[in-house]
Amino acid sequence: MAALRRWRAARPFWGGLLLTLGGTEILLTEKASLKVVMHIGMQGLAGYLLPVLMLVCGLLVLFNPAQRLFYSICGVLLSLGTWLTSNLGGFLIGLLLGVVGSCLTFGWLPDQEPRRARSWRRRNRVPVHHP
Amino acid sequence: MALPSDAGSSAGSTPEPSEVPESGSLSDGPERRGRVRLRRAAVMAVPATAIAAGLMILTAQGALGVQFAISGMAFTVTATNLDGRGFEQFGALDQMAEGSPNEGDTGGQVLVVVSAIKNATLTKLCQSVDLGGTNLLITAGQGAQKVTATDLTTDSTELTGDAAFGNIEIGNDASTLDKAGVQGPKGVFSQQADTVKIANLRQTNYATTAAVFKLPGLRLRFSEQGC
Repeated sequence: MAALRRWRAARPFWGGLLLTLGGTEILLTEKASLKVVMHIGMQGLAGYLLPVLMLVCGLLVLFNPAQRLFYSICGVLLSLGTWLTSNLGGFLIGLLLGVVGSCLTFGWLPDQEPRRARSWRRRNRVPVHHP
Repeated sequence: MALPSDAGSSAGSTPEPSEVPESGSLSDGPERRGRVRLRRAAVMAVPATAIAAGLMILTAQGALGVQFAISGMAFTVTATNLDGRGFEQFGALDQMAEGSPNEGDTGGQVLVVVSAIKNATLTKLCQSVDLGGTNLLITAGQGAQKVTATDLTTDSTELTGDAAFGNIEIGNDASTLDKAGVQGPKGVFSQQADTVKIANLRQTNYATTAAVFKLPGLRLRFSEQGC
Protein backbone atom coordinates (compact mmCIF):
# COMPACT_ATOMS: atom_id res chain seq x y z
CA MET A 1 0.00 0.00 0.00
CA ALA A 2 2.78 2.39 0.92
CA ALA A 3 4.54 1.59 -2.37
CA LEU A 4 1.33 2.33 -4.33
CA ARG A 5 0.89 5.58 -2.42
CA ARG A 6 4.39 6.67 -3.26
CA TRP A 7 3.93 5.61 -6.93
CA ARG A 8 0.73 7.61 -7.14
CA ALA A 9 2.33 10.61 -5.45
CA ALA A 10 4.96 10.88 -8.16
CA ARG A 11 2.57 11.18 -11.13
CA PRO A 12 -0.79 12.76 -12.11
CA PHE A 13 -2.58 9.52 -11.22
CA TRP A 14 -6.25 10.59 -11.45
CA GLY A 15 -5.66 12.63 -14.60
CA GLY A 16 -3.99 9.74 -16.41
CA LEU A 17 -6.58 7.25 -15.16
CA LEU A 18 -9.57 9.38 -16.28
CA LEU A 19 -8.02 9.98 -19.72
CA THR A 20 -7.40 6.23 -20.13
CA LEU A 21 -10.95 5.41 -19.01
CA GLY A 22 -12.36 8.03 -21.41
CA GLY A 23 -10.56 6.46 -24.37
CA THR A 24 -11.72 2.99 -23.31
CA GLU A 25 -15.34 4.10 -22.93
CA ILE A 26 -15.39 5.63 -26.42
CA LEU A 27 -13.86 2.47 -27.90
CA LEU A 28 -16.56 0.37 -26.19
CA THR A 29 -19.31 2.47 -27.82
CA GLU A 30 -17.97 1.71 -31.30
CA LYS A 31 -19.77 -1.14 -32.98
CA ALA A 32 -18.65 -0.85 -36.60
CA SER A 33 -16.64 -3.88 -37.66
CA LEU A 34 -13.13 -3.36 -38.96
CA LYS A 35 -14.26 -4.45 -42.42
CA VAL A 36 -16.83 -1.66 -42.61
CA VAL A 37 -14.30 0.85 -41.26
CA MET A 38 -11.86 -0.05 -44.01
CA HIS A 39 -14.57 0.47 -46.61
CA ILE A 40 -15.51 3.91 -45.32
CA GLY A 41 -11.86 5.00 -45.31
CA MET A 42 -10.25 7.80 -43.32
CA GLN A 43 -13.52 9.05 -41.77
CA GLY A 44 -14.23 5.62 -40.33
CA LEU A 45 -10.64 5.03 -39.30
CA ALA A 46 -10.50 8.30 -37.35
CA GLY A 47 -13.39 7.04 -35.25
CA TYR A 48 -11.10 4.33 -33.87
CA LEU A 49 -7.81 6.22 -34.13
CA LEU A 50 -8.73 9.10 -31.79
CA PRO A 51 -9.90 7.03 -28.79
CA VAL A 52 -6.93 4.67 -29.19
CA LEU A 53 -4.58 7.68 -29.08
CA MET A 54 -6.48 8.99 -26.02
CA LEU A 55 -5.89 5.65 -24.30
CA VAL A 56 -2.20 5.73 -25.24
CA CYS A 57 -1.85 9.32 -23.96
CA GLY A 58 -3.52 8.35 -20.68
CA LEU A 59 -1.16 5.39 -20.18
CA LEU A 60 1.87 7.52 -21.08
CA VAL A 61 0.78 10.13 -18.51
CA LEU A 62 0.85 7.34 -15.91
CA PHE A 63 4.09 5.68 -16.99
CA ASN A 64 6.06 8.62 -18.38
CA PRO A 65 4.86 11.58 -16.28
CA ALA A 66 7.88 13.71 -17.24
CA GLN A 67 6.22 14.48 -20.61
CA ARG A 68 2.77 15.10 -19.06
CA LEU A 69 2.24 18.56 -20.61
CA PHE A 70 2.52 17.26 -24.16
CA TYR A 71 0.34 14.24 -23.41
CA SER A 72 -2.32 16.33 -21.68
CA ILE A 73 -2.52 18.84 -24.57
CA CYS A 74 -2.77 15.98 -27.09
CA GLY A 75 -5.30 14.30 -24.80
CA VAL A 76 -7.62 17.31 -24.59
CA LEU A 77 -7.50 17.91 -28.36
CA LEU A 78 -8.17 14.23 -29.09
CA SER A 79 -11.01 14.16 -26.56
CA LEU A 80 -12.66 17.17 -28.19
CA GLY A 81 -12.09 15.65 -31.63
CA THR A 82 -13.95 12.48 -30.72
CA TRP A 83 -17.14 14.58 -30.67
CA LEU A 84 -16.93 14.66 -34.46
CA THR A 85 -15.44 11.24 -35.15
CA SER A 86 -16.63 8.75 -32.53
CA ASN A 87 -20.33 8.69 -31.59
CA LEU A 88 -20.34 12.25 -30.18
CA GLY A 89 -17.42 11.40 -27.91
CA GLY A 90 -18.81 8.09 -26.68
CA PHE A 91 -22.17 9.80 -26.09
CA LEU A 92 -20.44 12.62 -24.16
CA ILE A 93 -19.23 10.40 -21.27
CA GLY A 94 -15.83 9.53 -22.74
CA LEU A 95 -15.31 13.09 -23.95
CA LEU A 96 -15.95 14.50 -20.47
CA LEU A 97 -13.68 11.91 -18.82
CA GLY A 98 -10.94 12.72 -21.32
CA VAL A 99 -11.20 16.50 -20.94
CA VAL A 100 -11.32 16.35 -17.11
CA GLY A 101 -8.40 13.90 -17.06
CA SER A 102 -6.32 16.08 -19.39
CA CYS A 103 -7.03 19.20 -17.30
CA LEU A 104 -6.07 17.41 -14.08
CA THR A 105 -2.86 16.24 -15.75
CA PHE A 106 -2.11 19.73 -17.05
CA GLY A 107 -2.65 21.27 -13.64
CA TRP A 108 -0.61 18.69 -11.76
CA LEU A 109 2.75 19.70 -10.32
CA PRO A 110 5.22 17.38 -8.60
CA ASP A 111 6.77 17.87 -5.21
CA GLN A 112 4.06 19.99 -3.55
CA GLU A 113 3.96 20.65 0.15
CA PRO A 114 1.37 18.59 2.03
CA ARG A 115 -1.93 20.44 2.14
CA ARG A 116 -2.56 20.22 5.86
CA ALA A 117 0.99 21.15 6.81
CA ARG A 118 0.85 24.15 4.50
CA SER A 119 -2.32 25.57 6.00
CA TRP A 120 -0.98 24.90 9.50
CA ARG A 121 2.18 26.77 8.66
CA ARG A 122 0.28 29.74 7.22
CA ARG A 123 -1.71 30.05 10.41
CA ASN A 124 1.44 29.88 12.50
CA ARG A 125 3.73 31.95 10.32
CA VAL A 126 3.73 34.94 12.66
CA PRO A 127 4.70 33.09 15.86
CA VAL A 128 7.40 31.07 14.04
CA HIS A 129 9.10 34.09 12.55
CA HIS A 130 8.89 36.13 15.71
CA PRO A 131 10.00 33.88 18.53
CA MET B 1 11.63 27.01 1.06
CA ALA B 2 11.50 27.62 4.76
CA LEU B 3 13.03 24.45 6.05
CA PRO B 4 12.96 25.32 9.76
CA SER B 5 9.24 26.01 9.68
CA ASP B 6 8.64 22.77 7.75
CA ALA B 7 10.46 20.81 10.37
CA GLY B 8 8.58 22.69 13.05
CA SER B 9 5.22 21.88 11.49
CA SER B 10 5.89 18.18 11.30
CA ALA B 11 7.22 18.00 14.82
CA GLY B 12 4.59 20.28 16.29
CA SER B 13 1.34 19.15 14.73
CA THR B 14 2.01 15.62 13.37
CA PRO B 15 -0.63 16.21 10.72
CA GLU B 16 -0.97 12.63 9.47
CA PRO B 17 0.15 10.00 11.97
CA SER B 18 0.43 7.30 9.32
CA GLU B 19 3.05 9.29 7.47
CA VAL B 20 5.30 9.91 10.41
CA PRO B 21 7.30 6.65 10.24
CA GLU B 22 7.93 7.12 6.51
CA SER B 23 8.76 10.76 6.56
CA GLY B 24 10.67 10.48 9.76
CA SER B 25 13.44 8.66 7.92
CA LEU B 26 13.67 11.47 5.36
CA SER B 27 15.61 14.55 6.18
CA ASP B 28 13.21 17.14 4.71
CA GLY B 29 10.17 16.70 6.91
CA PRO B 30 6.76 15.35 5.79
CA GLU B 31 6.19 13.44 2.54
CA ARG B 32 6.01 15.73 -0.48
CA ARG B 33 3.43 14.63 -3.05
CA GLY B 34 2.52 15.84 -6.51
CA ARG B 35 -0.79 17.67 -6.52
CA VAL B 36 -3.17 19.38 -8.95
CA ARG B 37 -2.96 23.17 -8.75
CA LEU B 38 -6.43 24.46 -9.54
CA ARG B 39 -5.36 27.68 -11.22
CA ARG B 40 -3.01 25.76 -13.51
CA ALA B 41 -5.72 23.23 -14.40
CA ALA B 42 -8.11 26.09 -15.17
CA VAL B 43 -5.70 27.36 -17.86
CA MET B 44 -6.68 24.30 -19.87
CA ALA B 45 -10.17 23.66 -18.48
CA VAL B 46 -11.63 27.04 -19.48
CA PRO B 47 -10.75 26.95 -23.22
CA ALA B 48 -11.52 23.21 -23.40
CA THR B 49 -15.00 23.79 -21.96
CA ALA B 50 -15.55 26.67 -24.37
CA ILE B 51 -14.55 24.56 -27.38
CA ALA B 52 -16.70 21.63 -26.22
CA ALA B 53 -19.70 23.94 -25.81
CA GLY B 54 -19.04 25.45 -29.23
CA LEU B 55 -18.90 22.02 -30.87
CA MET B 56 -22.19 21.02 -29.29
CA ILE B 57 -23.95 24.24 -30.30
CA LEU B 58 -22.66 23.99 -33.89
CA THR B 59 -23.76 20.35 -34.07
CA ALA B 60 -27.20 21.17 -32.69
CA GLN B 61 -27.60 23.87 -35.33
CA GLY B 62 -26.58 21.42 -38.03
CA ALA B 63 -23.73 23.67 -39.14
CA LEU B 64 -21.03 21.06 -38.54
CA GLY B 65 -20.47 18.24 -40.96
CA VAL B 66 -22.76 19.54 -43.70
CA GLN B 67 -20.88 22.57 -44.99
CA PHE B 68 -18.76 21.82 -48.02
CA ALA B 69 -18.32 23.14 -51.52
CA ILE B 70 -19.88 20.91 -54.16
CA SER B 71 -17.66 19.70 -56.99
CA GLY B 72 -20.15 20.65 -59.68
CA MET B 73 -20.03 17.15 -61.20
CA ALA B 74 -23.45 15.56 -61.08
CA PHE B 75 -23.75 11.92 -60.11
CA THR B 76 -26.57 9.47 -60.54
CA VAL B 77 -28.06 7.45 -57.71
CA THR B 78 -30.50 4.60 -58.26
CA ALA B 79 -32.17 2.14 -55.93
CA THR B 80 -34.91 -0.41 -56.51
CA ASN B 81 -36.61 0.61 -53.30
CA LEU B 82 -36.31 3.45 -50.78
CA ASP B 83 -38.11 3.30 -47.45
CA GLY B 84 -37.91 6.34 -45.19
CA ARG B 85 -39.34 7.78 -41.99
CA GLY B 86 -39.34 11.57 -41.60
CA PHE B 87 -39.18 13.18 -45.04
CA GLU B 88 -38.65 16.80 -46.11
CA GLN B 89 -38.14 18.44 -49.47
CA PHE B 90 -37.36 22.05 -50.39
CA GLY B 91 -35.49 24.12 -52.94
CA ALA B 92 -32.01 25.51 -52.35
CA LEU B 93 -28.99 26.94 -54.11
CA ASP B 94 -25.64 25.09 -53.96
CA GLN B 95 -22.34 26.87 -54.44
CA MET B 96 -19.36 25.36 -56.26
CA ALA B 97 -15.79 25.95 -55.18
CA GLU B 98 -14.40 29.28 -56.37
CA GLY B 99 -13.07 29.10 -59.93
CA SER B 100 -14.32 25.55 -60.50
CA PRO B 101 -13.97 24.45 -64.16
CA ASN B 102 -17.52 23.06 -63.95
CA GLU B 103 -19.00 26.53 -63.46
CA GLY B 104 -19.76 27.19 -67.13
CA ASP B 105 -22.21 30.09 -67.44
CA THR B 106 -23.97 29.26 -64.16
CA GLY B 107 -21.80 31.49 -61.95
CA GLY B 108 -20.93 28.42 -59.90
CA GLN B 109 -24.42 28.00 -58.54
CA VAL B 110 -26.80 25.10 -59.01
CA LEU B 111 -30.48 25.17 -58.20
CA VAL B 112 -31.27 21.93 -56.38
CA VAL B 113 -34.05 20.16 -54.57
CA VAL B 114 -32.94 19.16 -51.10
CA SER B 115 -34.49 15.91 -49.87
CA ALA B 116 -33.89 15.07 -46.22
CA ILE B 117 -34.80 11.73 -44.67
CA LYS B 118 -34.41 11.03 -40.96
CA ASN B 119 -34.09 7.24 -41.31
CA ALA B 120 -33.74 5.68 -44.73
CA THR B 121 -33.39 2.09 -45.94
CA LEU B 122 -32.35 1.49 -49.54
CA THR B 123 -32.28 -1.72 -51.56
CA LYS B 124 -29.70 -2.26 -54.32
CA LEU B 125 -28.12 1.18 -54.15
CA CYS B 126 -26.07 2.23 -57.17
CA GLN B 127 -24.11 5.46 -57.59
CA SER B 128 -22.18 6.51 -60.69
CA VAL B 129 -20.19 9.57 -61.74
CA ASP B 130 -19.56 10.20 -65.42
CA LEU B 131 -15.86 10.96 -65.74
CA GLY B 132 -15.96 11.26 -69.52
CA GLY B 133 -15.71 7.89 -71.26
CA THR B 134 -15.76 5.89 -68.07
CA ASN B 135 -17.91 5.81 -64.95
CA LEU B 136 -16.94 5.49 -61.33
CA LEU B 137 -19.52 2.98 -60.17
CA ILE B 138 -20.38 2.20 -56.55
CA THR B 139 -22.91 -0.44 -55.60
CA ALA B 140 -24.04 -1.63 -52.17
CA GLY B 141 -26.88 -3.52 -50.55
CA GLN B 142 -27.21 -6.04 -53.38
CA GLY B 143 -27.58 -8.98 -50.98
CA ALA B 144 -29.88 -9.58 -48.05
CA GLN B 145 -28.49 -6.68 -46.02
CA LYS B 146 -29.87 -3.30 -46.99
CA VAL B 147 -28.21 0.10 -47.05
CA THR B 148 -29.28 2.27 -44.10
CA ALA B 149 -28.72 5.96 -43.48
CA THR B 150 -29.72 8.45 -40.78
CA ASP B 151 -30.07 12.19 -41.36
CA LEU B 152 -29.64 11.63 -45.07
CA THR B 153 -29.82 14.73 -47.25
CA THR B 154 -29.45 14.77 -51.02
CA ASP B 155 -29.20 17.83 -53.28
CA SER B 156 -30.73 16.75 -56.60
CA THR B 157 -31.64 18.36 -59.89
CA GLU B 158 -33.77 15.44 -61.03
CA LEU B 159 -35.72 12.77 -59.18
CA THR B 160 -37.89 10.06 -60.69
CA GLY B 161 -39.64 7.02 -59.26
CA ASP B 162 -42.96 5.68 -58.02
CA ALA B 163 -43.59 7.42 -54.73
CA ALA B 164 -46.03 6.93 -51.85
CA PHE B 165 -46.16 9.34 -48.91
CA GLY B 166 -47.81 9.00 -45.50
CA ASN B 167 -49.25 12.12 -43.77
CA ILE B 168 -47.88 14.53 -46.33
CA GLU B 169 -48.01 18.33 -45.89
CA ILE B 170 -47.42 20.32 -49.06
CA GLY B 171 -46.75 24.03 -49.24
CA ASN B 172 -45.08 24.63 -45.87
CA ASP B 173 -42.54 27.38 -45.50
CA ALA B 174 -39.13 25.68 -45.73
CA SER B 175 -38.01 27.27 -42.46
CA THR B 176 -40.82 25.59 -40.49
CA LEU B 177 -40.08 21.97 -41.39
CA ASP B 178 -39.74 19.55 -38.46
CA LYS B 179 -40.03 15.95 -39.72
CA ALA B 180 -36.35 15.34 -40.50
CA GLY B 181 -34.62 18.02 -38.43
CA VAL B 182 -33.42 20.16 -41.36
CA GLN B 183 -34.71 23.63 -42.20
CA GLY B 184 -34.50 25.46 -45.49
CA PRO B 185 -34.46 29.19 -46.27
CA LYS B 186 -37.46 31.34 -45.33
CA GLY B 187 -40.09 31.93 -47.98
CA VAL B 188 -39.30 28.82 -50.00
CA PHE B 189 -41.88 26.21 -51.00
CA SER B 190 -41.48 22.88 -49.25
CA GLN B 191 -43.24 19.67 -48.37
CA GLN B 192 -42.84 17.08 -45.65
CA ALA B 193 -44.23 13.66 -44.77
CA ASP B 194 -44.05 11.13 -41.95
CA THR B 195 -43.17 8.22 -44.23
CA VAL B 196 -41.99 7.88 -47.80
CA LYS B 197 -41.69 4.89 -50.12
CA ILE B 198 -40.12 5.28 -53.55
CA ALA B 199 -39.79 2.37 -55.95
CA ASN B 200 -37.37 2.47 -58.91
CA LEU B 201 -35.71 5.59 -57.53
CA ARG B 202 -33.45 7.53 -59.86
CA GLN B 203 -31.76 10.78 -58.82
CA THR B 204 -29.29 13.18 -60.40
CA ASN B 205 -27.43 14.57 -57.41
CA TYR B 206 -24.87 17.24 -56.69
CA ALA B 207 -24.30 16.41 -53.02
CA THR B 208 -25.22 13.80 -50.46
CA THR B 209 -24.66 14.00 -46.72
CA ALA B 210 -25.57 11.61 -43.94
CA ALA B 211 -24.81 11.36 -40.24
CA VAL B 212 -24.43 7.61 -40.57
CA PHE B 213 -24.38 5.80 -43.91
CA LYS B 214 -23.98 2.04 -43.70
CA LEU B 215 -23.13 0.33 -46.97
CA PRO B 216 -23.05 -3.47 -46.63
CA GLY B 217 -21.52 -5.24 -49.60
CA LEU B 218 -19.87 -2.08 -50.93
CA ARG B 219 -18.23 -2.42 -54.34
CA LEU B 220 -16.35 0.40 -56.08
CA ARG B 221 -15.10 0.04 -59.65
CA PHE B 222 -14.74 1.73 -63.02
CA SER B 223 -17.31 0.73 -65.57
CA GLU B 224 -18.34 1.52 -69.15
CA GLN B 225 -21.95 1.89 -68.09
CA GLY B 226 -23.45 4.07 -65.40
CA CYS B 227 -26.40 3.18 -63.26
